[in-house]
Amino acid sequence: MFMCRKKIAKILIISSTTFASMLSWGIVNVGEDLELEGFVKAYNIMKNGASFFHDGELTHQRNTAQLEGKYYFLKDGQMFNRFASGPIDEATFTFLGRAVYDSAYDIRDSYGSLHDRGKEEYKIREAFVDFSMAPFSLRLGKQQVVWGETDNFRALDVINPLDRTWHGTRESWEDIRIPLWMARGIWDVGKIGPFDETFLELILIPDDFQATKAATRYPRPWAIRGLGSQSHNANSVLIGNTLHDLNVTVTDGAPDDRKLSNMQGGFRFKGIWNEVDFSVNYYYGFSQTTGVKVKSAGLDSLGVFNVDVETVNPRINVFGVTASFSEDRYTQSVFRLESTITSGVPVAIAAGAPDRANPNGNSFDTAKQSVVMIGIDRPTWIPALNKLRTFFISTQFFWRRYLDYNNYYQGSAFYDVSPATVNGVTVPDRYVSENNNRLDQDEFVITFSASTTYGAAGLWKPLFVFAYDPRSTGSYSKIKMEYLFSKHLVFAVEQHLYWRTDGDDTGPWGLGSYLGEPGIRRNETVFTATYQF
Amino acid sequence: MNTDNIAPLKHIANHRISGKVLPALAMATSLCLPLSLHAEDQSYQSLRDWIENSRPDAELTPGQHLTINDRGQKLEALIPHTAWKYYFFDNMDMEIGVTRNYPAPDHWGKNMAVDYKLDEDATLVGFTGGGFPFSEIKADDPVAGQKVIWNMLWRPGTNDFDMPMVTWLRGESGKLDRIMEYTNTSATYARGDHSLVPGYEEVKSKRVMEFRSPRDMAGAKDMSITYVDHRRENSGWLYMPAQRKPRRTLASERTGELMGMDMIREDNNGFGGKVYENTWEYLGKRKILATINVESNPEFGGDSLWVPHKTRWEVRDTHVVLIKPKSEDHPYSARVVFVDAETYWTHWMFAFDKKDDQLFRMNQHFLKYSEDYDKEPPAQAPFIKQDYSKSVGHSVFLHLGQTDINAKKPHATMTHCFTNKKEFTAARAKQFYSLRNMISGRR
Repeated sequence: MFMCRKKIAKILIISSTTFASMLSWGIVNVGEDLELEGFVKAYNIMKNGASFFHDGELTHQRNTAQLEGKYYFLKDGQMFNRFASGPIDEATFTFLGRAVYDSAYDIRDSYGSLHDRGKEEYKIREAFVDFSMAPFSLRLGKQQVVWGETDNFRALDVINPLDRTWHGTRESWEDIRIPLWMARGIWDVGKIGPFDETFLELILIPDDFQATKAATRYPRPWAIRGLGSQSHNANSVLIGNTLHDLNVTVTDGAPDDRKLSNMQGGFRFKGIWNEVDFSVNYYYGFSQTTGVKVKSAGLDSLGVFNVDVETVNPRINVFGVTASFSEDRYTQSVFRLESTITSGVPVAIAAGAPDRANPNGNSFDTAKQSVVMIGIDRPTWIPALNKLRTFFISTQFFWRRYLDYNNYYQGSAFYDVSPATVNGVTVPDRYVSENNNRLDQDEFVITFSASTTYGAAGLWKPLFVFAYDPRSTGSYSKIKMEYLFSKHLVFAVEQHLYWRTDGDDTGPWGLGSYLGEPGIRRNETVFTATYQF
Repeated sequence: MNTDNIAPLKHIANHRISGKVLPALAMATSLCLPLSLHAEDQSYQSLRDWIENSRPDAELTPGQHLTINDRGQKLEALIPHTAWKYYFFDNMDMEIGVTRNYPAPDHWGKNMAVDYKLDEDATLVGFTGGGFPFSEIKADDPVAGQKVIWNMLWRPGTNDFDMPMVTWLRGESGKLDRIMEYTNTSATYARGDHSLVPGYEEVKSKRVMEFRSPRDMAGAKDMSITYVDHRRENSGWLYMPAQRKPRRTLASERTGELMGMDMIREDNNGFGGKVYENTWEYLGKRKILATINVESNPEFGGDSLWVPHKTRWEVRDTHVVLIKPKSEDHPYSARVVFVDAETYWTHWMFAFDKKDDQLFRMNQHFLKYSEDYDKEPPAQAPFIKQDYSKSVGHSVFLHLGQTDINAKKPHATMTHCFTNKKEFTAARAKQFYSLRNMISGRR
């Protein structure tokens, strides 16, 4: 009975949003001071089988209702149209709420084992107040802050963690960033010396730390347990020719939000120098990538192999610079540059490493990492393909390097789980795992995207995305076509493909054919219908 | 002679009609169809012919309403030939207003820099606004065309407003493809002997445009900076809510269609490109009908709802300027603009396809004089109510919209601007038109 009511409530929420939206569109004014906007979206993901349209499998049917609003409670120095607000010129309250119901959980019997994790979400994702008092402005509340020039790779864009549990990083990062409670203050400086349009931005996160939610977090429909078996966790350890039960105890060592010493924050100075946009950034926070310290490991008297581990998110220092420049004369391109040095990046140390590589004996270390990104954006005429409009072509070269690298560095994301084999015989119901994810000192990825519009009014919007790791030869391609059917209705179909040209290295980026192979099968077809008000 | 018009005769000839029948048919055809055949001709040459063939001034009486019945006697002489196909339709209704003088602001021309000149490419150097750079246009001046355009680019009222806008994209038969709502806000920095914001003397103007619908574009905003030095490219940034950060844009790409609209950046105000990238010819003065001081934002009529209907037109003297792009890759072979001889606002623009010299795109503008805002205020935007009394006293024209037609698709973009005069203080302009303002948006 309770379930039935809940479903009716969901239907009411979604249908009321839909009916309300039929009366309006875009940003809707409610009175003179409140603006609302939002959408209802049906998002269907099909895993592809061995061949197209064969063995397809519905993994998500994510129905999302999003409502956004802005309330102008202080305008022209008057608060609520009544009270003088002193030096504050303007203030607004913004909120963004999202309700998600994934009906695939109710359609698929096999999803019973997921215990409804990821099935529903009802959240006020963002809620903040903006104050403007020239030349100062302040945003207080739960929000997203994005720094840097890089698209979809993390160098300076590390203030908000990501939720990669429901569809990896394949969604718009606006939708998968985890908003944090913070204060963002800006002092608009303007011209100063040789610099123009300068401002100083300060970020303070007093007590809200959250780690990135990894795609490996099980059980979720999109969760990847690692390589090898996707249906079992490791439960055994093979020592010599003897198989032992494995017992892992995990202690959460994430920073305590409530301690003042656990504050995070940073600053950015941005401006223009000789037509070059630049910024200098510094951020002091915690690594959102979780590392693992092995506190103890060994056989007990009963022959069980006990491993006691603690998850840790070490302090990080991120120093970075960015630049962008519009070169109109020779290349007609916009050049983007971003470079960072980060200390405190967690890495695992391979089993059997010498003491010099594992000085604390806990298979854990922190590393210094540098990133250089060079990007080029160019509106490009390709008359053979489009006579009316340019293609927007954007490409990035991303280079990440461990500055204090040693050969025993390992990633902790991908463990290879396989059936336990003793003396060549597979032991039923016993599985072992192995971390073969050795890190390279230098990691590269190249991305390319092209988009344009077709049709008399530009209602057909194709997009092609390509990412390639030249070392592992792993690649990801996305082809998408969006059709703006009406001012309310938008349809989209997209295909995601993973492939490689050589070898079997998984690489560090989540690219490559292993994601399309039986078991993991992340080659997908996605159908979306969006009703926007 | 345009050979397209005799295609029917060729067709008949190919079917071996006898020599006696052919001349008779040709005569009958020319008697019955010259008007319709000629009206369909949208070639560059036919517009040149229309401009050069002087006609006696049609006698129009203020207050009279012209219909399709007045086409031959009065309207064909005053509506550029290339536009006939769209602007003449069965139930058309054009109200004729008094041809007036529209004084510029009191301060106009009084605080100008004097040390400016045209360089070898007729690019204006050293001019900082505050008035028209050229007080007189002489027909025999070899750079008269460029001077008209410089006056157009520096005319009063081009900036300093809040401009909520609604744009309709329509196909043939009026099929509505898309509606967009957005707001354009701009400020003139270069004001002759001073800048709006001291220290920013190199800036001509700044503009911020923000979309509010449809939802897939809501919150997107772009900022553009135009510089006093015409040879310096504009600077631009685009903030997309989905990215939550601004992105530098390329200003020198001016020939691609914008967001599905039937215009390119270079079509803005009739000519929004670089003077030195074109060759110029002044074609003289021509009287035309213009929607220079409409009562309110006009409704749209015609077979496809592409053109202003039931609105007020005025006979205006215009400078006619021929602009030919130097670049071989440019989509246009030529562009002809009709610029008001008193106010230097563009009324009509026709651009011709490089492939066949037929009409590619055209635009026509709706304006209103600020001093008439009190007695006949324009319509309010559907999403914001403004106090139009703020516009009175500035003695400038405010842009109430335009129609942009792509003849090749064919398709049109109609825009209503609900423009209200706005003067920024230096402090507010500095904060609003800043890179800082571009790092965040509605969300």
